[in-house]
Amino acid sequence: MSRRWLLLPLLLLTLTARAEDWPSEQWPTGPTTTGPALEALEQYAFTQRDESTREGIRTDALLVIQDGRLVYERYAGPTTAQTPHLTWSISKSLLATIFGVAYGERLFALDDPAAKYYPPLQRHPDMTLADLFHWTSGLDWQEDYEYAPLNSSVVAMLYTRGRHDMAAFAAAHESFNPPGQVFRYSSGDSNLLAAALKTIVGPARYADYPWTSLFEPLGIRHATWETDASGTLVGSSYAYLTAQDLARVGLLMQRDGRWGDRQLVPKDWIAFNREPFAGFQAGQDEAVPGGHWWLNRSAGSTLRPWPDAPPDTFAALGHWGQALYIIPSARLVIVRYGDDRDGSYRHNELLKRAMAAFAGAVRP
Amino acid sequence: MKRKVLLSLASVLLVALFGWVWLERVALQAFPDIISAYTAKEYCSCRYVMQQPADYCRGYVKQSVPVRDFFEAVEARRVTVSGLGRSHSARWIGERQGCRLEP
Repeated sequence: MSRRWLLLPLLLLTLTARAEDWPSEQWPTGPTTTGPALEALEQYAFTQRDESTREGIRTDALLVIQDGRLVYERYAGPTTAQTPHLTWSISKSLLATIFGVAYGERLFALDDPAAKYYPPLQRHPDMTLADLFHWTSGLDWQEDYEYAPLNSSVVAMLYTRGRHDMAAFAAAHESFNPPGQVFRYSSGDSNLLAAALKTIVGPARYADYPWTSLFEPLGIRHATWETDASGTLVGSSYAYLTAQDLARVGLLMQRDGRWGDRQLVPKDWIAFNREPFAGFQAGQDEAVPGGHWWLNRSAGSTLRPWPDAPPDTFAALGHWGQALYIIPSARLVIVRYGDDRDGSYRHNELLKRAMAAFAGAVRP
Repeated sequence: MKRKVLLSLASVLLVALFGWVWLERVALQAFPDIISAYTAKEYCSCRYVMQQPADYCRGYVKQSVPVRDFFEAVEARRVTVSGLGRSHSARWIGERQGCRLEP
């Protein structure tokens, strides 16, 4: 009898030791890493910044979560732990995760016609929500930022002709192909989803839905998500989060949509996010598209986009070097904010060095 | 003879140019708006959403096309920028909604 009483605390101790770590108000911290592998990572990510030429790799924030604990964090330039940094197109993947909560509420099905929730798309009755998540709407969209401003659909959408109602602007594009067949990356597709969400969750809940569905349950206190003049979230581009808060979304994704005891986003939704679009052809983009997330999967006979990172790596990526990487097999979440203006930053190089520093090995 | 060839070549080019301008008329008309709208919107968000210092944000939004006038009403959290003959303003709306270009 007395021996059993001795065993009980021991058992409890073992259970606690094996329990998962989750952030509360703050991230729990893990052991600090040092050594040449970390130095190599820092040498790559944090070079001398020149604000006049803006050349080279300009990391604003680098943060690593391992097993739900903060193991590395460094900021540069004007960014600090308190800065809600512009995520650019990471917003698209955040939008998809918010849709995941609505999916858990059984408010829509992936093969529903997009026009069911966004009537201006009635000209395209075969276009489904899944097509929009795969960026396969077939709409003749030109995604280019600075380099071809005249014909850039995205510049016109954000700053000129489309800015009052970005979804309506996207919906007015002609088709170049039937939906569901050809991948063409489009911020217009993402904003059509953002507009469809208004009907899906209802106008009364819509304005606060990113907060009530995702940010608040995750303990994210200071997020901004800008809207256009019609009140539609700029789902393509304009979510702002601190690096620590973006990592919370990463941990949710790493753990298959579960936050503590709660399955916030259904597992089959995460599976959809991580399933490559079958019609993708190698070279169409820098990574393989899943359901509004980017995957490190090989397309056809080509190498994976990031050969030095494990094949289960997936990411949310944005303009000027924004990235949220999730590597479930290494139980790693990495947030990298940047202000890269010349495209010299390489995801694979950062992931290779981060794996060496934090996963102890460079995997094939 | 040589002059005739040059003249007809020039007129063909001119017709092509007019054709292109006609085809791209919508995009061309909106084109000069880009720099002032971009600068106003992204500067506003840099200052009032990302809460960065003014001098940093001026550098952050800098593009190869220069802007002519730049006015920041700090109290109203409103930024007005003009360039290429057009002018645009962006205003901070609130913590959740950040900045937006004014109509």
